[in-house]
Amino acid sequence: MTGTSHNWSQRLVNWARMKSPWITIFNSGGCNACDIEILACLIPRFDIERFGILAKGSPRHADILIVTGPATLKQATRLRRVWEQMPEPKYVIAMGACGAGGGVFHGLYHVSESVDAIIPVDVFVAGCPPRPDEVINAVVTCLGLLAEDIAHGGKGWRQKKVVEHPDTMPHGEVQV
Amino acid sequence: MTDPLTEDVVAGTMSTFGTVEHVRKNRFRITTTPDQIRDAVKTVHAALSCDRLVTISTADTRQAFELHYHFTGQHRTLVTVTIAIPRDAPELPTMSDLLLPAGIYERQIHDLFGIVFTGHPDLARILLNEDWPENEHPLRKDWKPDGKTFYGGTPPEGR
Amino acid sequence: MAEVIIPIGPQHPALKEPVNFRVIADGEKIVRLELTLAYTHRGIEKAAESRDFIRVLPLLERVCGICSHSHATVFAKGIEEIMQVEIPPRAQYIRTIIAELERMHSHLLWLGVAGHEIGFNTLFMWTWRDREAVQDTLEEMSGNRVHYNMNEVGGVRCDLSPSQVRAALARLPLLEERLKKYVAMLEEEETMLLRFKGVGKMTRHEALAYGAVGPTARASGVACDARHEDPYCVYAEIPWDVVTDTNGDVYGRTCVRIGELRESAKIVRYCLEHLPEGEIRVPAPKVAPTGECLSRYEAPRGELVHFIRTNGTDKVERLDIRTPTLANWTSVAMCLAGQHLADIPVIVAAIDPCLSCTSRLTVLDNSTGTGGMITFDELRRRNRARWQEEERT
Repeated sequence: MTGTSHNWSQRLVNWARMKSPWITIFNSGGCNACDIEILACLIPRFDIERFGILAKGSPRHADILIVTGPATLKQATRLRRVWEQMPEPKYVIAMGACGAGGGVFHGLYHVSESVDAIIPVDVFVAGCPPRPDEVINAVVTCLGLLAEDIAHGGKGWRQKKVVEHPDTMPHGEVQV
Repeated sequence: MTDPLTEDVVAGTMSTFGTVEHVRKNRFRITTTPDQIRDAVKTVHAALSCDRLVTISTADTRQAFELHYHFTGQHRTLVTVTIAIPRDAPELPTMSDLLLPAGIYERQIHDLFGIVFTGHPDLARILLNEDWPENEHPLRKDWKPDGKTFYGGTPPEGR
Repeated sequence: MAEVIIPIGPQHPALKEPVNFRVIADGEKIVRLELTLAYTHRGIEKAAESRDFIRVLPLLERVCGICSHSHATVFAKGIEEIMQVEIPPRAQYIRTIIAELERMHSHLLWLGVAGHEIGFNTLFMWTWRDREAVQDTLEEMSGNRVHYNMNEVGGVRCDLSPSQVRAALARLPLLEERLKKYVAMLEEEETMLLRFKGVGKMTRHEALAYGAVGPTARASGVACDARHEDPYCVYAEIPWDVVTDTNGDVYGRTCVRIGELRESAKIVRYCLEHLPEGEIRVPAPKVAPTGECLSRYEAPRGELVHFIRTNGTDKVERLDIRTPTLANWTSVAMCLAGQHLADIPVIVAAIDPCLSCTSRLTVLDNSTGTGGMITFDELRRRNRARWQEEERT
């Protein structure tokens, strides 16, 4: 395998990822408004499928994970597990005010600190809930990040590497 | 729809259980004791033809736990049966054999307040996550999240 | 016989909020159902005790993203009842208009979801496209597609201008036309008839015993509607009907919801055409007197109940929320018994679960002792396969 053909195949894969990112949606305990707005992207009015964006069921098939909700304690470990199942390169979009830091639910007893505390988030979308147009904009922003990551040879230029713990439910002293 | 219940009818049937109060136009409240609650509920269901349990509400008054059983029926009148149980011994016989919907409400109340419903077929955790420590009931008035206890979810340094 | 757990994770391929059932099955037939819910438990009732009446309304709106106005209205009217504050007629009409528009968007959403559950994705696309007309109306009136924040204690926050009323009235004929098509579909569309009829049947007696509310109960002939039993806003003054059906199965619930869509369109039209002039709010006291109230409201999914207790401050002492989906869970559990495994998505979808209001499918197969991962998509495929098999024989 010469250097040229490896570049050629990698370029093809990158092109396919950029032209048709597949998303998966995870509701980490939100009110569901963001999920409905994401689904509203599939309908004829906004129609993201014409861009090649498919909503896939399994995280193993997805490039982008869209997280809605403020990451309740019950969903936090599941969210972590779903994210770990995604193959690299993977991107995370945190929807809405909840994704940014809990939204109206910030500080409640059954809600984590933020989605960013559990998995590394690449794009935050403002809104409560963000409109479908803003969701599409977020996916496009992700694609911009993907292009930059390809140019830099990975995510290391903007993100610390996340250590994957074998046990995602550690016990010990934590700040709640 | 049948005619709304009048105060005489409600008082006549339920005054043996405790005080009957006409709270609002179509709302009555009967305050009774925990040992009479099952008979009171049976009477409300049968004699006052309240065939639907609306909900079971709870409140923590710092001195006791109050439970309110709300019923309604074809007469469109709301009848509430209220009891108070001591905070240090929160136990009550279950209503889930008399009223099927009560089962799920009692499970919730058990999670949030720690009230034990004796005879309930399955008082397992329903609302709070699996790692939530036992004997921490968040909706009690004297409960505050402790800075040290682990309540579940992945901690920040796990990421 | 060993019980084997077949989990469906709380992460679903489409649409649904996280939930976990444990279904004890005998081959393909369900024997019993156990529930594990509340992945969306956030601790809102506790938070409501530390927020004043202005700050608590946005929190309560976000209990649910589909019936947000329901939670805000039922709370606001409960506090107004305790304070003994009468809000002006224009505010009542505006609350009703938003409430019925919300019911329309919710039922159209449900219709799309039901179509998706039986593989009829065209219906999903059509209903959600029509739903956009309702969303545009709501956005024009309130500024947001969901979480309208129209309510405050003492009235509504935004008024409706004449141009907004005209624009809303202009959209109604399109919706009414589309609704006629859906009504016709109920009678003619083979897919819906075959997949909905006889599934998840519940008699009137069962609906009362299981405590079902909303369209789930009304489809079994129980005429319980909080707008009729305990009238609030303008429901006691305007002409409207409670929609019931006698089928008691998923088909009946579909008929009830489509009937309610037509009723809601009628109510919205009436309210817009008869909107009274006047103030939209009255000054309400900052603190509420000590009191108690059980406030009931007919949310799109059924009767929503807020038990409110105040203590003379500007915050509630206790807020206890009972959502309609919680009341309907028992009926789902009971009417799934004896049904086919593959009918689970349809029957669960038929109660229109709003799990964020309330809070993975685990199947234990008694007979074969086997198990494995099973997704809702797999169940839908099995449902279609079974239907095709039945059609052939």
